[in-house]
Amino acid sequence: MATISTQLRNFKEPTREQLNLLFFALPPEVEHYGRENGAGELEKIEVGAILSLGVQGVEEAYTGRLHLIPPYLTFASLDRKSVKFTVPLSTIRRVERLNAKAGVYALSLSLWHGMKIVVQITSLRPTADLFCSLLRDALKVELQLGQMKAVKTFVQTCYSEILISNASAEADEKNGREPSTSKIEALPASDQNSPYLGGLGLKFKFPGDARKLREASKTKLWTAYLKAHGRNLTLIRYPQCTRLVQVGLPNRLRGEMWETLSGSMYLRFTNPGLYEKILEENKGRTSTSTEEIEKDLHRSLPEYSAYQSEDGIGALRRVLQAYSFKNPETGYCQAMNILAAAILIYMSEEQAFWLLEVICDRLLPGYYSPSMHGTLLDQRVFESLVHRCLPILHDYFTSVDVQLSVASLPWFLSLFINSMPMVFAFRIIDCFICMGPKVLFQVGLGKSMMFHSTILKINGEQLLQIQDDGGFIHLMRDYFSSLGDSAHPESPDPRARAITRFQELLLVSFREFAVITDDTIQGERRKFRGEVVHSIESFSKRAAIRNLKTLERFSKDQAGLIYDALFKAICIEPPPETMMPTPALLTTKDWQEERPETRVGLKTFKVFLSEIATWARVEKIVSNGFQQRVEREVAEHELIDRLFYFWDTGYNGALSFQDLVSGLDGVMFNDLMENIEWFFNLHDKNKDGYLTKDEVLTLSESLLFIFRFEIGDAYLGAVSRFMSNAFEYGDALLPRPEGAEEYATPQIESNVPYMNLATFRMVVLADEILESFFEADFTGTFKLEPVPMMDIPSHNGLLGDLWTSLTSDDNKKIFNRFTDGVGRAVGKHQIFHRPAIGKFTALEEPKARESLLTPTMRRSASKASLKSGDSDSAPPASASAPANLNVPASEEAVTPAAFSPMPTMFEAAANAAAAFMERTPFAIDDAKDEDEESDEESEGLEDDVMDEVDAFLEAHDSGLTAAEQEAAQDLINAEPVK
Amino acid sequence: MTDASGSTADKSVQVKLVLLGEAAVGKSSVVLRFVSNEFQANKEPTIGAAFLTQKCRLEDRVLRYEIWDTAGQERFHSLAPMYYRNAQAAVVVYDVTKASSLEKAKTWVKELQRQANPNIVIALAGNKVDLVQPSPSSSSPTSTEAEDEADDATATPGEAAAGGEPESLRQVPREEAEAYAQEAGLLFFETSAKTGEGIVEIFTEIAKKIPIDQIMASSRGGAGRASAAGGRGGTAGQDGNVNLQENAAKGKDACNC
Repeated sequence: MATISTQLRNFKEPTREQLNLLFFALPPEVEHYGRENGAGELEKIEVGAILSLGVQGVEEAYTGRLHLIPPYLTFASLDRKSVKFTVPLSTIRRVERLNAKAGVYALSLSLWHGMKIVVQITSLRPTADLFCSLLRDALKVELQLGQMKAVKTFVQTCYSEILISNASAEADEKNGREPSTSKIEALPASDQNSPYLGGLGLKFKFPGDARKLREASKTKLWTAYLKAHGRNLTLIRYPQCTRLVQVGLPNRLRGEMWETLSGSMYLRFTNPGLYEKILEENKGRTSTSTEEIEKDLHRSLPEYSAYQSEDGIGALRRVLQAYSFKNPETGYCQAMNILAAAILIYMSEEQAFWLLEVICDRLLPGYYSPSMHGTLLDQRVFESLVHRCLPILHDYFTSVDVQLSVASLPWFLSLFINSMPMVFAFRIIDCFICMGPKVLFQVGLGKSMMFHSTILKINGEQLLQIQDDGGFIHLMRDYFSSLGDSAHPESPDPRARAITRFQELLLVSFREFAVITDDTIQGERRKFRGEVVHSIESFSKRAAIRNLKTLERFSKDQAGLIYDALFKAICIEPPPETMMPTPALLTTKDWQEERPETRVGLKTFKVFLSEIATWARVEKIVSNGFQQRVEREVAEHELIDRLFYFWDTGYNGALSFQDLVSGLDGVMFNDLMENIEWFFNLHDKNKDGYLTKDEVLTLSESLLFIFRFEIGDAYLGAVSRFMSNAFEYGDALLPRPEGAEEYATPQIESNVPYMNLATFRMVVLADEILESFFEADFTGTFKLEPVPMMDIPSHNGLLGDLWTSLTSDDNKKIFNRFTDGVGRAVGKHQIFHRPAIGKFTALEEPKARESLLTPTMRRSASKASLKSGDSDSAPPASASAPANLNVPASEEAVTPAAFSPMPTMFEAAANAAAAFMERTPFAIDDAKDEDEESDEESEGLEDDVMDEVDAFLEAHDSGLTAAEQEAAQDLINAEPVK
Repeated sequence: MTDASGSTADKSVQVKLVLLGEAAVGKSSVVLRFVSNEFQANKEPTIGAAFLTQKCRLEDRVLRYEIWDTAGQERFHSLAPMYYRNAQAAVVVYDVTKASSLEKAKTWVKELQRQANPNIVIALAGNKVDLVQPSPSSSSPTSTEAEDEADDATATPGEAAAGGEPESLRQVPREEAEAYAQEAGLLFFETSAKTGEGIVEIFTEIAKKIPIDQIMASSRGGAGRASAAGGRGGTAGQDGNVNLQENAAKGKDACNC
């Protein structure tokens, strides 16, 4: 009754490339662009560049890096925050090489919106040439794909176009008397059919008082900015852009700016019609997610008028459903409804759908996933940041045992939307989308700090009286609801009185906590990921065990070990995705689906069984004179498949945790008789109580499979005796036709019932080895041992990364192969298979118990009498019988040699080997150390160089020298090369 | 509001209570009814958890319930231990019109009994009984009332047709749930946050059953609460007269932080 997810374990740190895409708000699919379009691999390239806007005097020139990431061209200034742009190549109308002073390599790019940017490439000439040719190729591809034409229709959906065209129309008319903003406000409202996309706010009014929000002047400022710096697809972000966002976006422009700043606009641009298509294809489909969505539709910002009518509810339903259909793994998480309801006020459904995608996948990864690991991780990070930045507050919380996360978790999950008045929450969302997730942490810290000082100001003793989470929450809540109040109500200066607590909060957040950068957060996340993953996993383990219908005869700890083995198996061999019922099945109301359960297929089962049953794995002990290691592989045999279907009592074609627990219970607590019966039933496919001749043969093969690595011929002999006895007695006991001759063997087909349990039991008990096998050895092959877990990926800075890359599996394999090669060369390479039972260490061959096969014994196969016969056989092998390998089991083994744990025999050989090993590991360790060192060194050197380069560039960052600045400005007026 | 945790704390016994149950069974509504005697048809889902307080007078002593109202969606489950740690009481809510919600309630009870405070007092509450009662005794249902109900997204679909045979909406027979509660040692109630039926009773009965003296003895370091330990022993309240402190303003506090 539980799902087992290994998603957290499979987490990989994003590569530099991926981080770069994230930084430029590009979809991750871009990494493989070109391959999908059949355009072939389009190369990416990065060059140093100086960017200037093609209008004299509007903006300074900035130096930075220009990236060609088809189908986009991006730029970021060296400090990675002052200036940045991401433009689709399809918006580039014209590229010209500028005729400039010798040694200056400059390009002029004309963009869709008529603006011109000039980039002076500062990389070496060959690199610059390569960049230009790659840019040319990429542009050609865009042209062929017809993307250039798509731009025209796309920009018409953007409000900024209306804004600019109105503004310029006005300028043309020179009709300056009318206040420009009132016209802008009036126009779209009168024209409901205008092609631009907008949110519910257009019809149901935007929250807040437009005058108080100073909409008009904000709109004016933005109109000016967008006119000069590009808009929607071609926006170039200069410092002023961020500042304008920080004072709050105007309502009508807000949706579009969110799209542009978050990069969701690129998704909408490149996937036209996908939103409608998803809805169309999944029409009428229901799932757990859609049911949960229905429950919450009327519970999302219910006070906003749109959500009291079908307009709003319908839009919300469609957006949330479309998201859940596109991302079935995440589906729907409460809080997403609030988020979606909030953004739908400012954007159309399609826009909201893509923004939701960007928020859930990129900006807040893992926040809304079924395990909510992202949320938990960031809460841990937040607590650590409070500890670091506000140690007094942190110590206080610790001393009264208050968990900060009980208050802060909902802030992060719903982006502050229900913990402060909406108008303020939207301004935080503006900053969040523009500046990234660090904003949440900064504002959270700002809140904690303001709250702290406010409380201290109001009542110094107040805070000291909070002794539990509840009191703390009360105070927090009161503080948030007063955010609109003046921060300085007593001040004589009316302007100071006008400053709200919210403004103060933003100021404090961004100024005091400017040290919190995206890198800080990435680093903290890395630090705590292991811890959080571990706690989530152990929670789901406890839940899975608690939710078992029955523990059978296992203890909780043992069930835990079974869970661990299963978990590891799922890590190695994930169950196929297609375990989800088909859409047709989803429409029926199936409660089973409500609480999905992880079931594993045969492949995963094999891995699982190899963890538990010694015969279900191939364990090779490899020794090459340098090292000795155990290599485990999953065994393949029909017996394992048979066991899988035997345990699949519900005929699901897959096994749940419960199935495995019950299945193991069926074999791990058995005594002799029960084991024999179990083994019989396992091979009795049609469960009629009889084995056919074929099944007897299969059973023998199963036994041989289990015994395949045992030492000596004892087991082989036992199985062959079993076979001959089985057929002898089987034939002898067959009902004979009347009057048939005494010794005539009746002919019986291989597939008809032949041998019943009693006969089988008798045949087994006729053999001492088999008897002892079924008595205890077989049960002993199932071992619940702590599973050596793979490491949770945790990296600590550079050294950690280096270490993990050194100790990666691949490297280990290479190292092993190397030592094997050396070992082979010196004749020390040996491989032994560890036997499943490992009882017989010598070649002694116990005799079969002929005497047991007397007719009297046949009739009275009572358990007690048989037990006595057991006294002379060796006691059951201990759980972990040491592998005593005096018989080479592999053709590769050349000489008999000894291994740890060393038996006393072959001491001479052992000494020789020991002497050998004493020397060689040293040599290898040395070699390995050398490797590491050199790697570290080179890495370090590179870093040093990079640091130097960075330092150098940093110093020149704030701009260029006056001369360079001038040169850059000159370029603006330069003529294109003919 | 700021006095909530301050000045009055030293006279009352604090009881930490947690609400658990499947999504949209009406946990928040039960609390809202108890705390401010209100009902909201479309209550926003709880994110993480919401916190509310209410005082409750039992004989000569005052209990101050600190109520943690948790989120119901399955994926918030892993957060729950954060809220039920140290809880002295729990109300596990299910929806009488939804059989699956009782199953979920059972798993919550199981989890509480294994993981939470060993002396925790657990009450099982079958909410939304107003949907399965023959007809409101006050007056015939007016059309506006019916519309109100249809708006109520938290109710089971098909509820609009409730007028005809309300009892058919019921998926969990009272006897079945009661038998289970008996067997598991829980207090049992059928409630309606909408009409207020049975709500106060839950908290009264919990108050009677809670070992108040133990709480006071092991008070969590609060000097104020230790002084309250001077009260008389014995928890058996024959009368069980609970006097809710009218505190309408509290309802406004019920935000999700």
